Amino acid sequence: MTTRSAIILAGGKSSRMGTPKALLPFDGEPLIVHVAGMLQRMFDDVVIVAAPEQELPSLAVTLVRDEVAHQGPVGGICYGLRAARGEIAFVTSCDSAFLNGRLIEHLLEQIDPCDVVVPHWQDRFQPLHAVYRRSVLPLLEQQLARGELRPIFLFDKVRTCRIAEEEIRRFDPDGSSFFNMNTPEDYAEALRRWRRSISCTVELFGVARLVTNTDRISLELPRDSTYAQLFAALAERLPALVGRVITADRPRLVEGYACNVNGREFVRSPETTVNDGDNIAILSADAGG
Amino acid sequence: MHACFARLLHIDLTRGRSEFRPIEESRLRSYLGGIGLGVSLLWEHAPAGIDPLSPANPLIFASAPLAGSGLTTTAKYAVVTKSPLTGFIADSLSSSHFALELKRLGIDALVITGSAAGPVYIVVRDENVEVRRADHLKGKSATETESVIRTELESPAMRIAAIGLAGENLVRFATISNEGRHAGRGGIGAVMGSKHLKAIAIAGGRDIDVADPARVDAIAGSLRQRSLGSLTDKYRSIGTVANLSVFNHLGVLPTRNFQQATFEDAAALSGETLTNNHFSRRHGCACCTIRCERLFTSRGTDGEQRLEYETLFALGPLCGINDPDTVLQAAALCDRYGLDTISTGGTIAWAMETAGRGLLQGIGLRFGDGDGLLNAIHAIGTRDGAGDLLAEGSRRASAQVGANSSDWAMHVKGLELPGYDPRSLKTMALGLAVSPRGACHNRSGAYEADFSGEVDRFRGDAGRGPVVAASEDYAAVLDSLIVCKFLRKCFSDFYREAAEILCAVTGWDYTPDELRRTGERIHTLKKLFNIRERWQPQDDWLPERLLTDRLGKDGDIGLSPEELGEMIRGYYRAREWDEAGYVPVSKLRELGITA
Repeated sequence: MTTRSAIILAGGKSSRMGTPKALLPFDGEPLIVHVAGMLQRMFDDVVIVAAPEQELPSLAVTLVRDEVAHQGPVGGICYGLRAARGEIAFVTSCDSAFLNGRLIEHLLEQIDPCDVVVPHWQDRFQPLHAVYRRSVLPLLEQQLARGELRPIFLFDKVRTCRIAEEEIRRFDPDGSSFFNMNTPEDYAEALRRWRRSISCTVELFGVARLVTNTDRISLELPRDSTYAQLFAALAERLPALVGRVITADRPRLVEGYACNVNGREFVRSPETTVNDGDNIAILSADAGG
Repeated sequence: MHACFARLLHIDLTRGRSEFRPIEESRLRSYLGGIGLGVSLLWEHAPAGIDPLSPANPLIFASAPLAGSGLTTTAKYAVVTKSPLTGFIADSLSSSHFALELKRLGIDALVITGSAAGPVYIVVRDENVEVRRADHLKGKSATETESVIRTELESPAMRIAAIGLAGENLVRFATISNEGRHAGRGGIGAVMGSKHLKAIAIAGGRDIDVADPARVDAIAGSLRQRSLGSLTDKYRSIGTVANLSVFNHLGVLPTRNFQQATFEDAAALSGETLTNNHFSRRHGCACCTIRCERLFTSRGTDGEQRLEYETLFALGPLCGINDPDTVLQAAALCDRYGLDTISTGGTIAWAMETAGRGLLQGIGLRFGDGDGLLNAIHAIGTRDGAGDLLAEGSRRASAQVGANSSDWAMHVKGLELPGYDPRSLKTMALGLAVSPRGACHNRSGAYEADFSGEVDRFRGDAGRGPVVAASEDYAAVLDSLIVCKFLRKCFSDFYREAAEILCAVTGWDYTPDELRRTGERIHTLKKLFNIRERWQPQDDWLPERLLTDRLGKDGDIGLSPEELGEMIRGYYRAREWDEAGYVPVSKLRELGITA
């Protein structure tokens, strides 16, 4: 399988924030640790691009420094791609606290036959939540030499796959993936959001898939939600499940259906708590055949 | 007596004689019917140590107490014999109109011994037995055979079970087929072929009465209603092919001869994709309200093709095939020749890997090669070229090839594994290892514990012993009444309800505990048969690959010999057998086995 890398750009000035973004406390750890940890679960190779002299906590990742400080995203992407072991790389920034694994996987899956896969959310490209093929490096270096510091100049020159908003919403309904923290107000909002919500993916199998014509959807739920709440949210999003897979009177699975988490455990009680990032499968309880 | 007739029909093909013989009522009460009765008759009729393909090996068709009662999913019969694939017990089920007709002959079993001088078929009309020449049926598929016989007997109502060319050619995993359904595992079609018996055509006129018709009607209504609820939704809406995408998600889908447990192209073969792109119609056995059968259309097959999960897995991911049309064509070929699809796929997957390692000369097979798969099935059915080796099954073929190729011959006792990877289904691993039939998913439902979340499916321990033993006994009762396993979840208290049903149909009083004990008795007699046929403790084990090759992203999933050994010891303890797995005389006495 092709090695895939993740590149985190951490060398921004943080001028509007007034304090280094990478070190902001988030979920009990520095923000960069939070973001890197999420990506390490998905990628064997994680690269952090930092500014010269920038202080960072010790992490088991490849750390590279900007050769020239503050050249914007194009500089960071260049240095990151040079250090990456993979032929393709997912690029993001250190303040992307709400990365969504399923959306990232989806972007990675679209790379063939393209050079860049970039989401288009609310009329804007999201170049710092995009997948780049390492072969675009010479073009980016030329851009850097010319002082074209915005990645979107690249998109017209290579095979670029634009991911439309509707497609993104299948995985990330409210676009949390693109939430960045530029000001103290953004940071406060991020903390509020983190405390109050989790996201998970529900995959549907068998009858559930056929009656909804849906393979999978992403759900945002209040933190500490139970499976009963998840089933209620699922019923609201996919009403065809009600009565057939989810009971009509109270939110639980109809007898004969089961729920598996992350391909491992089966959920036995609707009072079990859903965890952030869980991949939940709704399937027939009967494995006979 | 109600619902049973206390007699069997014995046909000796060597002598061309037949006779009706009594069956003691006590035997019927102790072993019910179906597989239970079949095992009991096999024990009596099969000389110890017999060659399964020799004339003296009895081929037993056993009816069952509930057949013809009108209860949903009960139009079933069992075929029991000594397996030419394993050398141990072969007990297979089939269903539909042949099962009802067998019952209407007014017998509880048909026992066939001996061997005809040339191809024949048997015709039984009520009390009359006739053996006819079958030279003109040679090489025909079971379906073609049914059609020809019906025409020449001028009896459209005749029900027929037949073998295809694979059975004639003594392929060790050939099936017996009726109405497109197969009694599939263990090579019983080869036993029929060894007797030069192409088909059995039956028509009976006996009424089937039940002890308490009003009670049976009430139970039938209740069961019918339950059979149409959410607990059978999977079977009614998609069929067993629904398993494929789920098993892939859970990492238990055997792929490329068990080298992986997920298939990257599973989406192309999933039950959901087949339903959306290939579905033709739904079908069911006689007297069944669930109607789980799915017929699909494809390029390359004439008309429609049945497909079940086990066939889909074995001829798809197990061989690295990702094209649904190829799988459907392969399934159609297996049906035409009369081949067990699990053993066919398992043996070909072994050959694909072995050829890839350069150990099989003259066979250009490789994983993912659809034409190679189809050619191999033709070669097996006709025993042509390398097909002659593969027609022996993966155990014998690997023994002949040598060079450690038995390490990746995926069988237990010679029977190829079904589509559940035991490395992350530990209760199932134990069930497969100890099953008297070999690697079988039907004679226990051990996987149910793994899929329920009640046990840790990734970690085995001695506690799985009683779980597997209980599952085997439960299956033995279902297979002897006979009730389809797809109805099983509709019972809230199975033994209580089953005892009540049995009483209403036969008039026999059974307590739930007696019925549970009957399941244990039936299972124990199967084991006793195997011991008589030289079972050794090392036969209760799994293929080397499952104990050495690991799964998961970081190789974090595996099954160690120590873990399997602990589960097996726990199982023998739960069975109250000795430490080596032999049945003590005290246990036989306790169960009333007088063998």
